[in-house]
Amino acid sequence: MIDGVDYDQRLFEDVAPGDELPRVDDLITYRRVIMNPATTWDYFPGHHDPEYALAQGQPTIYVNTMHFLGFIDRCVTGWAGPRSFLVRRKVSTLRSVYAGDTMVGTGRVVGTRREEQDGRVRFLVDLELEVGNQHGDRCATAAVTVALPSREDGNRSASSS
Amino acid sequence: MSELGSTGYDIAVGTYEDALAMVGYSTPARFGEAPVNLAMARYFAAMVQDANAGFWDEEFAQEQWGGCIAPPAMLMTWVIPLEWKPGGALPVPLLTARVPLPGTTFVNASNDTEFFHPVRIGDVLHVTEELLAVSTEKRAALGAGHFVTTLSTFRRQDGVTVARMTNVLFRFDPDAV
Repeated sequence: MIDGVDYDQRLFEDVAPGDELPRVDDLITYRRVIMNPATTWDYFPGHHDPEYALAQGQPTIYVNTMHFLGFIDRCVTGWAGPRSFLVRRKVSTLRSVYAGDTMVGTGRVVGTRREEQDGRVRFLVDLELEVGNQHGDRCATAAVTVALPSREDGNRSASSS
Repeated sequence: MSELGSTGYDIAVGTYEDALAMVGYSTPARFGEAPVNLAMARYFAAMVQDANAGFWDEEFAQEQWGGCIAPPAMLMTWVIPLEWKPGGALPVPLLTARVPLPGTTFVNASNDTEFFHPVRIGDVLHVTEELLAVSTEKRAALGAGHFVTTLSTFRRQDGVTVARMTNVLFRFDPDAV
């Protein structure tokens, strides 16, 4: 076990529609935005060049799509646990998150279902999330499906293989 | 270089009709420059501050996934070309930046990804991209432009499809600032 790493796992039976995900607040410093191109190889200038962002009509540099996706995944598996498998993640970005903003992640369970795939049952949880900022603006919305381990399945891995 | 050369990012310029003529085009397979690797995966996880044990604990990950996994959000990263290579061949950008349109810049609008298998450290990914649609001109908060929809299918070294991603990008002319 590594100190600070998440191991707690939620099982399918422990989840019900209406359950809320814990809110995640994350201050996005200028340095964190600059880490976007460094860690993703995405050198589109809106993510590192403030002059370019201004010419686009934006106040300064902003996080890239992969940062949004990674933040949403962090909110989901931080709640569900590391033995969950991300099945689908549908994200609409409505507004940029700028250097100096705080990303705010919230979400809730909207459904649970069993789905048969290749003769095996998967235990799926459907979630809706929102990424906001410190002003209360909606910056992104997401519909996410995760597969969870189940007691019914002998608590096996949620992965498809 | 196009007129955007000075920004450091080159995108194809053309008319809406040019873009429509490209709908249905599929790219040949593009291979990642390097195998999916732990250094990049952990650097990204550190940027997002994600403590998922699958990225950080090799023993846990071995038992759970057959080895450490890469953050699912990094999918596109593994097929982004290097900026420079010996021999001087220019990198070919992702398809979404190669659709000829009048808009001088873009922002991403939506991303829908389905995963069929975890992406593990050591996998070598390749992608094929297809241009699904280009919208008529629309107005949005930042300006007027077109929505460009692409479908990317990611496969690993054994040919198995690991993920399928539909992305919508807004290619626009900024309103006067």
